[in-house]
This record gives sequence, C-alpha cells and structure tokens, in this order.
Amino acid sequence: MVRQRSSRTGLIAVIAVIVVVVIIVGVGYGAGWFKPSSSKTSSSGCTLPSSTPLTGAGSTLVAPLMLAWAAAYTQSSISYSAIGSGGGITDITQKTVDFGASDAPLNPSQWAAVPSPGVVTFPESAGAAVPIYNLPGISAHLHFTGQILAAIYLGDITNWNNSALSAINPGVTLPTAAITVVHRSDGSGTTFVFTSFLSKENATWKSTVGYATSVNWPVGIGAKGNSGVTETVLSTVDSIGYVDINYALTNAVGFGAVENPAGNFILANITNIASAIKDSNVVLPAATNYSAWYNISVLNAPGSEDYPLSTFTYLFVYTDLGVAYGSSFTLTQAENLVDFLHWIVTIGQQASAGLYYVPLPAFAVTSDNATINALLYNGASIPVCVPTTAA
Amino acid sequence: MPMGSGANPFPSSSPSRPRRPARWGNRIFAFLTGAGAVILVGIVLALFVFLYLGAKQSIDTFGFRFFTISIWNPFPYNVYGIVPFLAGTLITSSVALFVAVPLSLGAAIFLTQQAPRWMRGPVAQLIELLAAIPSIIYGFWALIVLVPIMRYDIEPKLYTYLGWTGLFSGTPIGLDVLTASLVLAVMVIPTITAISRDAMAAVPISQKEAALSLGATNWEVTRRSVIPYARTGIFAGIVLGLGRALGETMAVTLVIGNSNHVPKSLFSQGQTIASGIANQFLEASSPLELSALIEAGLVLLVIALAINVGARVILGRLQTGRGVGQE
Repeated sequence: MVRQRSSRTGLIAVIAVIVVVVIIVGVGYGAGWFKPSSSKTSSSGCTLPSSTPLTGAGSTLVAPLMLAWAAAYTQSSISYSAIGSGGGITDITQKTVDFGASDAPLNPSQWAAVPSPGVVTFPESAGAAVPIYNLPGISAHLHFTGQILAAIYLGDITNWNNSALSAINPGVTLPTAAITVVHRSDGSGTTFVFTSFLSKENATWKSTVGYATSVNWPVGIGAKGNSGVTETVLSTVDSIGYVDINYALTNAVGFGAVENPAGNFILANITNIASAIKDSNVVLPAATNYSAWYNISVLNAPGSEDYPLSTFTYLFVYTDLGVAYGSSFTLTQAENLVDFLHWIVTIGQQASAGLYYVPLPAFAVTSDNATINALLYNGASIPVCVPTTAA
Repeated sequence: MPMGSGANPFPSSSPSRPRRPARWGNRIFAFLTGAGAVILVGIVLALFVFLYLGAKQSIDTFGFRFFTISIWNPFPYNVYGIVPFLAGTLITSSVALFVAVPLSLGAAIFLTQQAPRWMRGPVAQLIELLAAIPSIIYGFWALIVLVPIMRYDIEPKLYTYLGWTGLFSGTPIGLDVLTASLVLAVMVIPTITAISRDAMAAVPISQKEAALSLGATNWEVTRRSVIPYARTGIFAGIVLGLGRALGETMAVTLVIGNSNHVPKSLFSQGQTIASGIANQFLEASSPLELSALIEAGLVLLVIALAINVGARVILGRLQTGRGVGQE
C-alpha cells in the first residue's frame, strides 16, 4: 500500500514537473502578450483623458526628466521603468512597452531585430559627455583636446605630466603621476557620444576601437553607470573619467574644458550644449531610416562657443500602433500616446534646464512633431484630440 | 476523564493499518508535499530550459569556440568568448580560498580546542552573524575602506617585494582582481568557519581523550584526531564557501575594475561571470551579446552544480573512508 501510494505520487510528480515547465516557459514566451487588457475601441477619437496608463522603459539617464514629465502630464498616467537603454530597446522590440528610450540610436544589430511594422526614431532631449578627473590641488578646469583624450584612453598617454597635456594647460602644474583611466562597464549613450568624438578626432581610435554604446576598452577600470564612474573618479586620486553633463554639474568633481573646432576650450553648460546642437544644423533623417539616425552627429558644432561633445537622446515608437500591438492597444491609447509625445517635445522641454537637461532646438521640435503626426493606427492617421498647449 | 490502557475509543481500527477515513487525508497530504517538491524540481529544470533558449543564438554562433575566444568585444567585432570572465572567476575564487581556508580553520580550531569555554558561544555566534551580512554591505566596505588600503599600503609593498613573481606587476590601483579576491575571502570566512567549527565541535570527546591519554599535545590532538574526524564537515564548509565566492556579484562588481580582459596579474582589472552579467545585461548592445551573457550564466550554473555534485561524491568517499579507517 505504501509502495502503491509512492508510485502514484511519482506519477503525479512527473505530470506536475511537465505542467510547471510548460507554464513557466509559456509565461516567458508570452511575456509580450500580457499587455494590460483595456476597454473596447471607441468609435471616434477625442476621448482623452484615457484611463489606461502609457508604459515606457529604457534610459536611466533621462529617467529624472521622464519622472518630472510623468508628474506634470495630466491626460493620463505614465509608467516609466528606468531599466537602461539596452533594456528599453529590448522592451520596445518585444512590444512590452508603448515607447522605448535610449541615449543612443539603434545600432545595426538592434535595428535588424525590430519587428514589423518598424519603429520611428526621434530625439526627445539632449546631453553631452564631459571629462572628469580627480587631481587634488588643481582647482582650474583642465583643458583637453580630442587627440589627448583619445591618447589617454588608448593608453598612449599614461602620465599626467605629459608634454602635450602640459602644453595646452599653461600655468597648471600637473603631477608626475600615472593616469588611472575610468570608463563605463555597461553599455551607455554617454559612451556612444564619447567614443564617437574620439573616433572623429583620432584615426587610431577610429580604426582600433571605434564608437558604440559599449566598446573593447584598451585600458582602464570599468564602473557601472554615470554614478559609478563619478564615484570611482572621486575615490581614486589621479583618475580620469567621462560622465553626462548633469553628473559633472551636480557632483563636486573636477571637470575639464574640451577644445572645439573653432580652437576654443569650452566648459560644458546647458547653454553651450543647446547652442551646439542648434548650430550643428544637422538635417534630421526620415524617422524610419535607422542607419541614417545611427550616423547623425551633432559633435563638433561650428559655433565658436559651442561645446563639441553634444548628443541627442532618443525615443522609439512603432510606426503603426494598431498593427504593432493588435486590438489590445486601442485607438484611445494611440491618441493618448500621440498627445503625450507632442507634449514632451514641446511643453515638456521647459522642464529640462532646471533638471540639467538640454532642451531640444526648434528644428528638432519641428521634425519630431512631423514624425509624431505621421504615426498610424491600422493604416489610418491618429486624430489629435487635445491642443498640445492645454496641459 | 480516567482512561485505562485498555479503553480504546476506536476499537475497530487496526494498529498496523491506517484507518480508512485517514486515507484521503493522506493522499491530499502526499499530493501537497509532493507538489511542493516537484515545483522546486520543475523550477530548476525550467531554469535550464530558459537559459538554454536564451543562450541558443550564442551557442549556435560560437559553439565550442565560446570557451576558447579570449575577447568580449561588442564593438567592432560583436564576438564574445567566456575566457576573460572564466579566468576572473577562477582566479578570484581560488585566491579567496587560498586566503580564507587557513584563517577559517585557524578560527574554528581556536573556537573548539583552545578558547576558554565562556568565549566559544558568543564568538561563534558573532562569526555566524558575519555570514548573514548582505554582500552589498561588504562591497561598500571594500570600496570605501579596503580599496584605499590596498592602493596605498599593501599593493605598493607587494609590488616592491614580490613584483618579481609576476603575480603583482602593473600599476597598483586598488580596484583589481586582488582586492576582489580579498573581499571574497572575507565573505567566505564566516561560512567556512561556522561549518568547520560545527564539525569540530561534534568530534566525540572519547576521540580526543584517547589521543590525550597517549600523551598527545594539544596540537597533536587537533591534527591527528580532531581534523581527520571533522574533515567531511570542513570540506563541506570549503565547498559552500567556494559556491558563495563563485556566484558573488555585487561586492565583486564594485571593486574588480570591470575590464573585459584576461587579467595579466593580480593587479589587473578583471571581470567574473557574475559581475560581467551584472554589468552588461541591461545594456547589452545586441541580441547576440545578450545571448552570450545568458550562455555565461548557464556556464556559471553548470560550474556551481558540478562543484556541488563533485563535493557530494567526495564527501561520500570521505565518509566511507572514515567509517572503515577509524571506527
């Protein structure tokens, strides 16, 4: 009898194992299907505010700005997960969110993974990479050129007491000390703009390392996130790193001025980054031209006071929301998403500077609005319900 | 209510068989407990299935070369090999054990053989408390306290006196494989100490008295009768410590320097499997890199399981050996 029962338990066990495996694997595959179920599609537009929250995920860098936007936007609630740019791109690719946010445009392998009907790319904010360092006793902002930064990050310049570095820093006594190079250990839009700049300035860098959100660093210590780089530089004497502008401005860390094409050494601030992006006068490509977005650059703007290491940060949204998400994503939600996107590229930009983000220049706002207006729902254009000034 | 031994309130039930009404209860009980066990087994299996599915792209792309490619290069090559991570994991874990095992055994011997009786309990409790400290706290401590000490005091001396060995070459920065190994050592010491202490405390007094009666010194008692008797437990403690060292993530990530290269010396920056995943998973630059990270996780899981299984086999042999040789 005992034996019989245990064999029965064994059978139950086998069945339960199979059931559990199937369920868990199924959940994994089905993660994309668990969109919040919502009410029936309304017959015509203009049903804002919507009760269904909009969901987004991605960049940790723009997270504070995104939170401020979510708090200020009244037409619906916005749920944004700051899981990192790579995670945001994965989520939009798997259709688990309504918009993805990344500090860098889609790279070739990422855009190859985007399913039909494809996504639009458009900038929603801007920033800049800034060299930071820890040199006790030096209060002046050091001068750097792209060539010198590249040589330091290639491991060619290994000591602060380097003649090229001294030559552009007259009056500063640089220590005879080995440079500890700090870079990001995770993929990052800040790395993307920094390595893009080094690639533009230094042929060796371009051919041996190149530019991407994550590269094969020849030398240095990796630290996670802008905060990790800042913390490592602050705690390591004689170190150099690079962070996004808001980390340089909000931490008590030394940061350097970088030479721009006009030959001036520019200390980054919101104004000269904004003017750099404006002066770059870059022609923003068609919203779905992934490779063109990957190659656009606002580096090395021509203005004499423009900061050279500036960059856009991006949002990704499906070109046709009905086709992408199916009937679980209603027209009302689509209208709501469009309204929110219009709102952040226009009114939302006013919140940027106070949080050390760079507002979009007018040409980018115009381009963004055109991109957002061209979004579709099952092949039809999406009605704009609420004037974007109403929020 | 007085009840004699003969007053059986259920005279119909037979003492050798469960009563009929209890059978359903038994079945339900068996099902519930069985389901609990099965769900756990199912989760482990599902974990493997998951990791395999996630890693499939990388497995298909690199095959066995995943274990020979010594670069982790998202750009420009989009090529990933586990060698840098594996090297970092194995080096940090072995150095950690190299440091931790003698210290832990010393502490365990002291606590069971040497320390005054009033001291044993409280100190043992304190050491077990150390094992409960969250690893991120060790990481903070390492970053703020240990790294500067390593950078300014210990590593320059190692470089001066032992640099010729090649183990301590390069620039001492403090954020390197050596510091990560020491943090791991500190983290596994409580585990190894606590388990070895329990094993040594369980050595029968007769075992020691026999040695003492032969005129053995304290050291001889420890070496010839306590350690051989407790070796199974000591070994188990070391394996558990190794397990913790292999999988430790946050504390290592904070101090190892996170460079995807095979370490050239103990002063090099490196990356363990766990820290590599923690660093890059959220920001993986391509589906292939994500897949390669998942494959690295699968490798870590297999290593952990292999160590556990191997340890069980060896433990079984040790236990048999003790039974034959000493009892």
